[in-house]
Parts: sequence; C-alpha cells; structure tokens
Amino acid sequence: MGQIAQYAINGLMSGAIYALIAVGIVSVYKATKVVNFAHGYLIMFGAYFYYTFAVIFPGMDWAPAWLASWQPGWMTEMREGLTMFSPMGAVLDWAANLPRIVFGLAGALVCNAILGRIIERVLMRPLMGQSVFAMIMVTVGLISILSGGAQLIWTADADFVPTIAPNTPLRFEMFGTMIFLFGADLVNMVIALLMFGGIVLWVRYTKGGIAIRATAEDQSTAYSMGISVPKVFSRAWVLASTTGAIAGAILATRNGISPSLGLFGFSVLAIVLMGGLDSYVGVFIAAMSVGVLEAMTQWKMGGDWAEIVPYVTVLVVLIWRPHGLFGQKEVERI
Amino acid sequence: MINANLKASYGADERVLDNRYKQGFVYGMIVLLALFTMGANDYAILIASKMGLLLIAVVGINVLTGYTGLVSLGHGAFVAIGAYAVTIFNNVFTGTLPAGIMPFLSVPFAVALAAGIGIVVGLPSLRVKGLYLAVTTLSANFIVIFLIEQEVFAPWTGGMVGLTTNVPNILGWELDTKREMFGLIAVVGLATILMAQNLIRTRVGRAFIAIRDRDYSAEILGISLLRYKLTSFAISAAFCGLSGALFAFFYARILPEQFELNLSLELVAALIIGGMGRTMGPVFGVIIIVMVPEVIKITFGAITGDAAGMAQLRAPLQEIAFGLLLVVFLLKEPLGINQITDRLLRAANRWPFARG
Amino acid sequence: MKLNRRSFLASSAAATAVMGTPMILRAQPSEYVVASSLPLTGPFATAGQLVSPALKMFEALVNEDGGIGGVPIRTTIEDSGYVPAKALANYQRALATEPNMVMYYGDSTGFMKLVAPELKGENATLMGSTSFASDLANPAENPYQYLPGPSYEDQVDILLQNIKDAGGTTVAFIFSNTEFGRDPIEHGRKRAEELGIKVVLEESTKPQGADIPTHVTKLAQSGAEHCILQGYVTGVWPQLIGGARQFGLPTQFHGTFWGMEKLIADRVTAEAGPFLSGYSGVMPYRYSYDSADAPAYQRYAAFQKKAFAGTPLENYMPTWGLQSLASLNLGIEALRRVANKGEEITADRAAEELAGISDFDMGGFFGGPVTMKDNKIGTGRVYTYDAETTLFTPSSDWLTV
Repeated sequence: MGQIAQYAINGLMSGAIYALIAVGIVSVYKATKVVNFAHGYLIMFGAYFYYTFAVIFPGMDWAPAWLASWQPGWMTEMREGLTMFSPMGAVLDWAANLPRIVFGLAGALVCNAILGRIIERVLMRPLMGQSVFAMIMVTVGLISILSGGAQLIWTADADFVPTIAPNTPLRFEMFGTMIFLFGADLVNMVIALLMFGGIVLWVRYTKGGIAIRATAEDQSTAYSMGISVPKVFSRAWVLASTTGAIAGAILATRNGISPSLGLFGFSVLAIVLMGGLDSYVGVFIAAMSVGVLEAMTQWKMGGDWAEIVPYVTVLVVLIWRPHGLFGQKEVERI
Repeated sequence: MINANLKASYGADERVLDNRYKQGFVYGMIVLLALFTMGANDYAILIASKMGLLLIAVVGINVLTGYTGLVSLGHGAFVAIGAYAVTIFNNVFTGTLPAGIMPFLSVPFAVALAAGIGIVVGLPSLRVKGLYLAVTTLSANFIVIFLIEQEVFAPWTGGMVGLTTNVPNILGWELDTKREMFGLIAVVGLATILMAQNLIRTRVGRAFIAIRDRDYSAEILGISLLRYKLTSFAISAAFCGLSGALFAFFYARILPEQFELNLSLELVAALIIGGMGRTMGPVFGVIIIVMVPEVIKITFGAITGDAAGMAQLRAPLQEIAFGLLLVVFLLKEPLGINQITDRLLRAANRWPFARG
Repeated sequence: MKLNRRSFLASSAAATAVMGTPMILRAQPSEYVVASSLPLTGPFATAGQLVSPALKMFEALVNEDGGIGGVPIRTTIEDSGYVPAKALANYQRALATEPNMVMYYGDSTGFMKLVAPELKGENATLMGSTSFASDLANPAENPYQYLPGPSYEDQVDILLQNIKDAGGTTVAFIFSNTEFGRDPIEHGRKRAEELGIKVVLEESTKPQGADIPTHVTKLAQSGAEHCILQGYVTGVWPQLIGGARQFGLPTQFHGTFWGMEKLIADRVTAEAGPFLSGYSGVMPYRYSYDSADAPAYQRYAAFQKKAFAGTPLENYMPTWGLQSLASLNLGIEALRRVANKGEEITADRAAEELAGISDFDMGGFFGGPVTMKDNKIGTGRVYTYDAETTLFTPSSDWLTV
C-alpha cells in the first residue's frame, strides 16, 4: 500500500509536468488548428536557454561574482558546521544559486518567446488554410531544424543545471513504508499546476483568451468581428513557447540537460490526443493518469516498459473514443 | 514537341505505359541500370543500393498516403517486420528447406506478415483520420520496435543486440557481394514501380483515389471504406516489408534501432519532396533524400579540409538541411519535384508556343 | 642496362633474393590508412571530440617512428553520432574509397556487432573500438576485432570481487537501456550469486535524460549497500549519485571504464558539490597524471603541451583518449610485425600477429607487460575519486581476470 502511494505521488509529479507541456500543444491547436509535433524540441530549446543563462553566462569572466554564487555574510555564517547533505544545506545551496536561477528562467522565457514568434511568422502563417497533413509535416521538418540547430549552438552534451527550488529530501512514513520525495519535485509540481490553472483561467476570462476561443470556433467570423487573427496566432505560439521554457527548465533539473529532452514531445502528443485536442480538462486528466500509469509500470515492470505506456494507452483510447476522452467530434460537411 | 499520343483503341488507353515516351524511358532506364550495375565503382553501388532499398518502401507509402490519402508516421515498423521475418524464417527452416529456394519462400512470408500486421495497424484508420491516424501509426511504430527489443522474443529477434542475417541464395546463386545485391534490388525496385503504376489504373486504384479525394463521397458511390482502406494499408505495408527483406539481405546484421521513427519520417519526407500520388515521385524523393547528405558531406569536406574542429558541425547541418528541404517543399512546392519536372516537360512539349 | 620498370623489378627481386630477405611482390603503397568513426555529435559527443585530437597525435607520433615498415600512416575521422548504422555506412564508404585501409577504429558496441558479420574475405579489416563488450573478444568467431583491456564482464567481476572483499552483501545494478548497458548484466547476476552477494535491484534507465527521481526512489527502497552503474558516459550516472546523496542514502557507487572520467567528475564537482567522493570503479589503464612509470605517457604529454595548448588536452589526456591510444598501439604493433616480416599486410595476417602479442611493453598504459588472450587484455585496477584533490587514486593492486 505504501509502495502504491509512493509511485502514485511520483506519477502525479511527472503528470503535472506533462500537463504543463500539453498546455502548449492545446493552446496552439485551439488558436491555429496546427498540431505541433515539434513542441518537444521547443521545450528542449527552453531547457538549453535556461542552461545558457543559468550556467554558461554566470561562468563567463565578465559575469559578476554574485550571479554565479551569491554568498552574503549571513549565509556563510549559517553554513558553518552544516554537514554536506543536510536539509538546511540544501536550502542554502539553493539560496546561493537564486540569482542565476532567476536570471536563467527570465532568459529562457524571453528567448523562447522570441523563438516561438519567429516560428509562427516564418513557418506557420504561410500555412493558414492548408491541409492537416501539410501542417503536420511542416512541424516534423521543424523537428530536424530545431534539433540540428541545438547541436550546432550547444554541443550535444549532458550537463547539470541548478534546481528551481531547494532540493531537500522529504521522508515520511505512510502505510508502514518509507516514502521518499524530493522537495524540488513537489515545488515543480506546484509551479506546473499553478501555470496550468492560470492559463485555463486566462483563456476563459480575459479578452485575449476569449479572442483565442473565438478564433478556435470560427476563424472568418472572428476576423469579421474585429479580432486580429494573426495576433491571436502569435499570442498562442508565445504562450506555448513560454510554458515550454518553464517545462524545459523543470525537465532539465530533473533529468539533466540533453538533446533527448525533445522526445518528451511525442509522448505528450499522445497524451494530448488521448484527452481530446481542444479540451484542457481532458488533457489534464490524461496527463495525470498517464503519469501515474507510467510510474506504476516503472515500479512493476521496469524502465523500458514505462517508455511505451503513453503510446499503448493512446491506441486503446483512440479505438474506443476516436476523438479522445473529452474531445469535440468534428462535424464534416461534404 | 511530343506527339503520337493518339489512342485508337481502349486496349491502348489501358496499357500501363500508355505512350511511346514512357516505354522508351522505361527501356532506357533498364539498359542504364544494367550498365551501372556492371560498371559503377563500389561507392556508387553502395549509395545506389541505399536509394533502391528506400525507394521500395517509399513506393509503399505512396500507395497509402499519395493515393489513398491516409497519413502514416509509422511505416518504419513494417520495414522492420519484413527484415526480421525474412531472417527468422531462414533461421527456423535452415536445414529443412534447400537453401536455393529459401528466398522464394522467406520473402513472400515476410511480405505477407507485414501486410497482415499492416491490416491490424490500419484498423484505427476506420475511426480516426488525419492527425489522429498520424499519432496512432507513430505509436504503433514505437510499440513494434519495443516488442522486437524485448527479452521474451530475444531467442528469435536477438533483442537489442540485433540479428545476424543470411546471404540470399537464389537457385544456387549466392548474392554475397554488394554489386550482386544491387542487381537484385534494382530488379525488384523497377518491378515495384511498375506494379504501383499498374495498381492505379485498376478498380482498386481508382477506389483509393476516390477515398483520398473525399472519403464520404466515395462511400456514397458504393466504395467500401473498410475494405479499401485496409487493402491500402496492406499493400503499402507489403511493399515496406519487401524493402525490409532486401534490407536484411543487403546488410549482414540488423538492429531494432535502425527502424525507429527516423526511418518512418524519412520515408514520408522522401515522398513529399518527390511528389505525392505520382509514380515517379518516390524516385525523385529518394534521390534527393540520399544525395543531399552525401553532397553536403563532400562539399563540407572540400571546404574545411578535414579540419578537426569542423567535422562535428556536419551532422547537425545535414539534419537541418533535411528539415529545411521538407519545410521548403511544403511551403513552396507542395506537389514535389514531380510537379517541377511536369512543368519542364510541358514547356518542352509546347515549345515554341505557350510556356508554363 | 636501360632501367625500365621490368628490369628494375627483376634486379631488385634478384637483389632481395641475394640478401636473403623474403620477396616483396607487390609495390608498397605510399601510405596506409587508419580510418575511424567517432561520436563527434550525439549523446557521447564530448568523448568523440576529445578522442579525435588524440588520433591525430597518434598519427604524428607513429609517423615520427617510421610509420608501418617505413610507410607513413594517415588517419581519417568520420562522425557517427553514436548511431551504429551511420558508423557502418562510414566503414563501407571507407572500404569503397580507401584501397590502402589497413585498420579501422569503431565507436560503439552496436557498431562492432553490426559490422562483425561483414568482416569476411576482402571486406575484412583489423578493427579496434571504444567498446569493451564481452562478445567482441571472441577470436574463434571473429579474429579481427579486439579489446584493448578487460571486457565489461571482467570489469564487473573485478568490482564484485572488490565488494565481496569489503564485506558487502547486497548489490544493485543500474544500467542504460542499450547494448552497452546490458552487456555485463546477465553475467554479473551469475557472478554475484557465486560470490554470495544478493542482487536486490536491476534497473534499466534511458541512456540520457533518465527519470532520476524514480530510479533513486527504487534504489532507496531496495536498500542496496553497493550499486554498480553501467552504460553511461557523460550523463545520468552523476545525477543518480547526486540524487542518492541528497536522499542521504549510504549506498556505495561503482562504475566501469566509461563512467570513470576525471573531466566529468570534476565538472560535476564544480557544478553540484563534492558528492562524488568515494565513488570507485575499474580502470584498465593508469590515469594520464600517473606518468612516472609510463614513458609513453611522458611522450604524449610533451606532444600535448605543444600541440593542444589552450584546450582541455593541454595537461591531461582523458581516459577515453588513452583507451583509443592503447587500442591503436596494439593494432599498429600487429601491423608492424607483419610488415617487418616483409609480408603483404592483410587482415588475416594482422589478426594472427595481434593474437600472438605477449609480454609486450606498452610503455606504461597497464601495470606491466601485457599479453593478448582471447583478443583482450584482462587486467585492471580499482580507482576511487576524491573530490578534494579531484583525482582518481588507485585503491587496489593491478588485478588480472
């Protein structure tokens, strides 16, 4: 029982990150009807931007010392006498890294937003009104461009990045088993959930969000009602790339930074289809259930089986419900 | 000016090669390929063999995506099934069947198995379309490769370590050099193109095209979507299986990772670049997909002179070039190179009168 | 006598016959080619990019020593991206375009196994590699491939023996889900059973971007005293150890050759703190800073100072580079032995000479003179990392398997 709780919590934590990634795919789809196969690689760019601003730049000669490691007097005092892996030490390590974490996140957000805009302007806007197939394949081409580009800019090297929250270990007993959790993972989950909720509320209640929904409903009517559809497009892409930047930074702190982060995009795509392409609620439920299912598989059958969990579940769900759990059935006119 | 296209009988109109230029082109290609097989150097043979292997699979994809309008991002799995089936069949029956007739049994077995699994993978196509189909086939690709890698099947598939393949023996003729293998690939490749060309002038082919243009309209016209969509999946999977079988003959060993998503995407990209729903589309596409990285490699080597720090830039550049080709063709010439050649031929045809 | 080609050959043949040396029937080529595939991109790009200058250095030093029987060598380096099929394409291309290729240097377990059945007849080439996969040391099946050290199975044997000697009773295997990672696991399981060590966890992970928290949780719940990591190069293994330390797990971690690089350990220490202290593993060679008894290392160091100033290679040769140098040295030695006997260099002759190398002084790579047995050299030593000095220091004698 305790074991189940442990893996359920692990699963919810990765499920929340899946949801945060998925929100980017859903938002772009809602606004532009493009399903972005390359979203995973956008995330990878976010992760590498975080790495650039949080590790590479602070390590440069011209960077001020406080950026690389912030060591005010009171912190050095508190550090006296602490053992290496004590909880307090972890918090202090985090505090010392705080300037570069903030710098890294800000840099990742800005750079990824610019990248998202460029992709939207150059590749996506000319495709308005094209077939689904053409749009899918353009994003497939984008995968190669992004992954090759990342290898040109950053060598394909695995590296460490500072965690966003203090990585204090948490241990407590539940149903007679020791439960192990990382503090940073809990914070990551909270961040992901807050962002997810914030975006759902934004789309529901703000003017910009309503413009996105109106465009999703009927592009030409939205146009004629005075909504600037191109602006809606670029807003959706910026939303996707900024949430992607945060998701990428979180993934980089969990799993280390490497080009393989891009592969997350495919499993999340499966999750999005499972939930229903245009339903935030459905996608959230799908993300959480796949996260838990994956953790359970990891526990019972090992790491390699966990990798195909999203793909098997999407096949099963799509055969049972062709438009996902909560997706709208498209009405086709002949 | 192209003329003499007048057809005096229905028989003439229904032929696979319905004018003399096409006939001349095909016979000319046969002669050229024969000369190439005998005269080309090892390197050219190697490159051409790669093109041939890829071509057979792309012709398969063309039946599904180009003619029937169903998207698949998972056909690499069928290439894998063909490659593994032919090798496993051989390993199981070595000793009980004479070696000389083995390929005549193992290759049909591999093709049939690929077609059968193609039907299974195609089942969701009855309920889902477009994007959803792309993701279900992509999932199928992941799952097939995963199953091949499993320890449970390792006695047959070799697991992650892969499988040593066998040298094909056609009635006592062992094709143990790359040149001989290229001869076989060229013959089979040519045959598949002619088969695809033949397919679209039959009832089945016309049904495919009707489904591509509008599936509901096709159904109203009395075309059974169930039957023809699955037939299309089976045929395209069979071609891919055939390509896989030859792949296993060509290389001495196969690994599961050779058939992952990358291969599936490469197949679809070659089709898009070459021209969907056209007989020559796969040929053009495959030539571009194989040659562009080679050309980049050669020019890059010439420019940088093998400087140590530069070699690591080549692979990313090749990857970017692949993506750019795909994107540029989709944005600027969605009907592919075939459209460009059509335009040139048409201009030649009408010269010196109207252009374009 | 007018000297034309025929009369020249006739007279030189007569001259060699008089001198009593064997005849050289074929004109010697102007150069020999040692071609290679390295992962200059992809998950192990760091390793490939550091090894490729070492190959160039090797070329220069061999030619300084007169090449192979007076004929200079040339090395070529192609990028494989750590994809076996790409490396195979590189090899086939080299076969087709380099008629004087006498040796090939491959870059992954996958490639070596993929190419093995192709090495027949005129397609055969002497072939070293970056892999220590156990299957490659099989001269009966495949005489052309060899290991410049102990196989991964041997390395795990050494580690398990060390764990046993330290009084360990439980061990966990964590490995990447690749051929490289899986190679010694089955053997290790058997070996642990023989030694009476209980295997409490066998966990496979992605080779990069693995889900660290989940793997660490499983390790924590298994309660293993020792953990053997296999199949990683630059990533995952430091994160796993870091995660375990943050959890406060007392597990001791051990690695095999590819997880023993000082550059990576130093980088991790600089970025995330000194948690790698006490990490130990098997290394077949001396580290490059341990050059007192290694004349070969001193020669390399002098060359590196001159040629690689301003790069990480200026004062240090990574273990990955040392492995490649050891492998190439063995191959060149075999080729030289063929050439010195005045015979034409063929893959079969080279493989014979390679298998016959015994009590050969490598100039300090290994603890002493080495002998090729079953196309591998079964010696190694356990080293432990110290984050204070940032050095791997020996914690055992040279062990022979």
